Amino acid sequence: MSFEQDKAEILDACIKCSACTAMCPVAAVNPLFPGPKILGPDAERFRLEGLQIGTTLSYYCSKCKTCEITCPSGVKITEMITRAQEDAKMSEGGKTLQFSIRDYLFGRAEYLGKLATVLPGLTNVLLKAPLFRQILEQTLGICSEAPLPAYHTKFETAEKDRKSKKQVVYFPGCFVTYNDPLTGQAIVKVLKHNGYEVIVPPFHCCGTPLEGNGYLREAQETAKKNLALMEPYMRAGIPLITGCTSCGLALREYPGLAESASELQAYDLFEFLWELQERNEFRKDFKDIQVSLGYHSSCHLKAQGIGTPSVRLLRLIPGVQVTDLDQGCCGLSGSYGFKKEKYHTAMQIGKPLFNRVRQGAANSEFQSVITECGGCQVQIRHGSGIETVHPVWVLMQAYGFFQLLSSGRHASSELV
Amino acid sequence: MWDGIIIGGGLAGLIAGIRASERGKHVLIISEGAGSLTYSSGALNFGDVVQLRSRENHPYALIEENVIQAGMDYFQKLFPDYQGVCGRTQTLFTPLGSPRTANIIPSGQNAAVLQDAKRIVLMAPEGMKDFFSKIIKTNLKICYPQCIVDIYPFRISAFEAWHAIGKPVTGMEYARYWQSGPGIAELKRVLAGVTITCSETVVLFPGLATAFSEPLKEVLSETPFPVIEMTSFPPSAGGHNLYNALKQKFKSLGGELLMGTGVQRIELQEKECRKAIVSSKGRPTAFAAHSFILATGGILGGGIEVTAEAAQETLLGLPLYVPAEWTKSEFLGEQPYAHTGIEADSDLRPVDPGTKEVLFENLRVAGRMLAHWDPWTDNCGGGVSLTSGWYAGEKL
Repeated sequence: MSFEQDKAEILDACIKCSACTAMCPVAAVNPLFPGPKILGPDAERFRLEGLQIGTTLSYYCSKCKTCEITCPSGVKITEMITRAQEDAKMSEGGKTLQFSIRDYLFGRAEYLGKLATVLPGLTNVLLKAPLFRQILEQTLGICSEAPLPAYHTKFETAEKDRKSKKQVVYFPGCFVTYNDPLTGQAIVKVLKHNGYEVIVPPFHCCGTPLEGNGYLREAQETAKKNLALMEPYMRAGIPLITGCTSCGLALREYPGLAESASELQAYDLFEFLWELQERNEFRKDFKDIQVSLGYHSSCHLKAQGIGTPSVRLLRLIPGVQVTDLDQGCCGLSGSYGFKKEKYHTAMQIGKPLFNRVRQGAANSEFQSVITECGGCQVQIRHGSGIETVHPVWVLMQAYGFFQLLSSGRHASSELV
Repeated sequence: MWDGIIIGGGLAGLIAGIRASERGKHVLIISEGAGSLTYSSGALNFGDVVQLRSRENHPYALIEENVIQAGMDYFQKLFPDYQGVCGRTQTLFTPLGSPRTANIIPSGQNAAVLQDAKRIVLMAPEGMKDFFSKIIKTNLKICYPQCIVDIYPFRISAFEAWHAIGKPVTGMEYARYWQSGPGIAELKRVLAGVTITCSETVVLFPGLATAFSEPLKEVLSETPFPVIEMTSFPPSAGGHNLYNALKQKFKSLGGELLMGTGVQRIELQEKECRKAIVSSKGRPTAFAAHSFILATGGILGGGIEVTAEAAQETLLGLPLYVPAEWTKSEFLGEQPYAHTGIEADSDLRPVDPGTKEVLFENLRVAGRMLAHWDPWTDNCGGGVSLTSGWYAGEKL
């Protein structure tokens, strides 16, 4: 491998302060994990010389990007580790066959979703059956205790409303499409309430699961397919909205992939609603509600660099109290916490958050937890036993489209 | 529209944000990464305030003396675990076991009791990184010749996996463990093992930071001997805990912290700042505010960039005071380059170093980027950041 000047310069920004390792949630609980400084910039010195080191250990990185957010010198640490994993995969290093097959499958959340939602009832029965889960653990290395999310009839935009002059494109993402379509419908409803026609093209997976499982090239190919679907809307200047923070992060990174994508206006749902608020176009016909909520900021929202727009916006609703839990990563990191060799690490990582959630719920500081990320929702429910939902449900309740946030959101009949 | 946007989430920025939020302002702090507090010991120096105020242009001279006192009082009211009095210093330990002084310190680090000690027990946690018990013992013997110094090695099961692979345990890992439920019980057990051979025994404990933890403070209050915490090399639990406490205070007052992303530029309109354009992933985001505070740090923090030719303020290109001669031969002595920074008026608004004309009406400068001081020789790093941050938050 020849020496690459730009890579070396990025590397030189690292002053070896170890702030990243001090904040890394994986290094804090797993002594075998050398931490982002060593696997990122330190090992990169060797990689620039063509020497692959620490590849097996690098798979313990959960890609939460806490190191990148923490770094006072702007070093793209997770990016270095992800690239090293991709290189290691090409040289066939680091993973057992079982883990390779499993990671291949986890990377393809879209196809898993399509398969699982053919008969979602049957899938859910199987996913809850201890014997089936034992088989999954033995054959594929998927932890039998892990909170694999239940599947649901595929997300469809049911309502055919009048055409509005104001349009947005909605990117539901795999979690909404296959596991939580009601949240997708809620997002569509809130956007419509604010005067927008919502267009949902038949998008593919955003690519994050592929990237997280070491399939960078495939992630980029999927992204390009999505970009082709977005093209006409991008040209018309129609904003692209998602309620999932991992999809959001991926969509924001799309412009690096194609020239035309520079016109892409990808927004997090609440970031978009906040812009409406700043332009005095956000509807505030709120009903009288009294709710206290604990807010968990997902790692991939933090990595977007847009702050916490949902907290900002929900605090505009009279009677809504939001406490920022600020306890770091939940540990799940997409499919990371589902893997048998990582499940316990993931649970250890999330422990401070689960404790904080249980404590807050026990002393009535808040009734339930909100977070934009579907994965975080699954993990917080699993780790703390406290109901955790997407913040759009608070808006749904405030607009009077939905009653009783804290109990039985999953009963679709309650959608007004 | 925000009432105030603070650029920089270090000590000055966070204090400004806390004070302004407490006054009912809607505040956003934008910070490129974790500030330098994680590298710091957690102790804060104010220096000789009276003498420094007599120096023309020193940041302390810009503001009234009672403002400095008010900033110090405010900090201690926020965090009662920190103690100190303006104009008086307290003794604490460096990671190498030599005493140093500071004005406001976490009470657990206060080493005053050692003056009357006859025996010092230095706790030596197994495999602790950057911990040199022999050097510490030598230093203690020099500074406290009346004392016997005993090293007390101990090992706890929580880090067996670390020891098994020969991996050192950092001071922060130890400190974090002591704060956990099992850690508190283990700490009690470890301390109970220390035998008292003379009544004036003092225990020195590296890798322990009790500030902001009620259960930990309780454990130490029950021991038959005083326990003194040591500061540590970066990253350090003392500084990190203070950073977390500041962050949580700011958030609990309704403030929003945007971390990991820098401000690309500020949109201006005549002599006013209008919007901060943030380098969000993929597409920049604009945040509008009535008022702004610049607390992006000095040369180390990235607020000021120095090249072979010139020094410049990185965000707005504000004119800087730059000394004619940058360096002096004595390495650890006064270095003029440290005085590089922004000159400000008594309201902390940046002024042109030549004409003294106020450059922006709604912008204030706080912390390390102010001109005419040297945190190392003036010994006032924490003091300037804290008081200028507090004052900027008060005025926002």
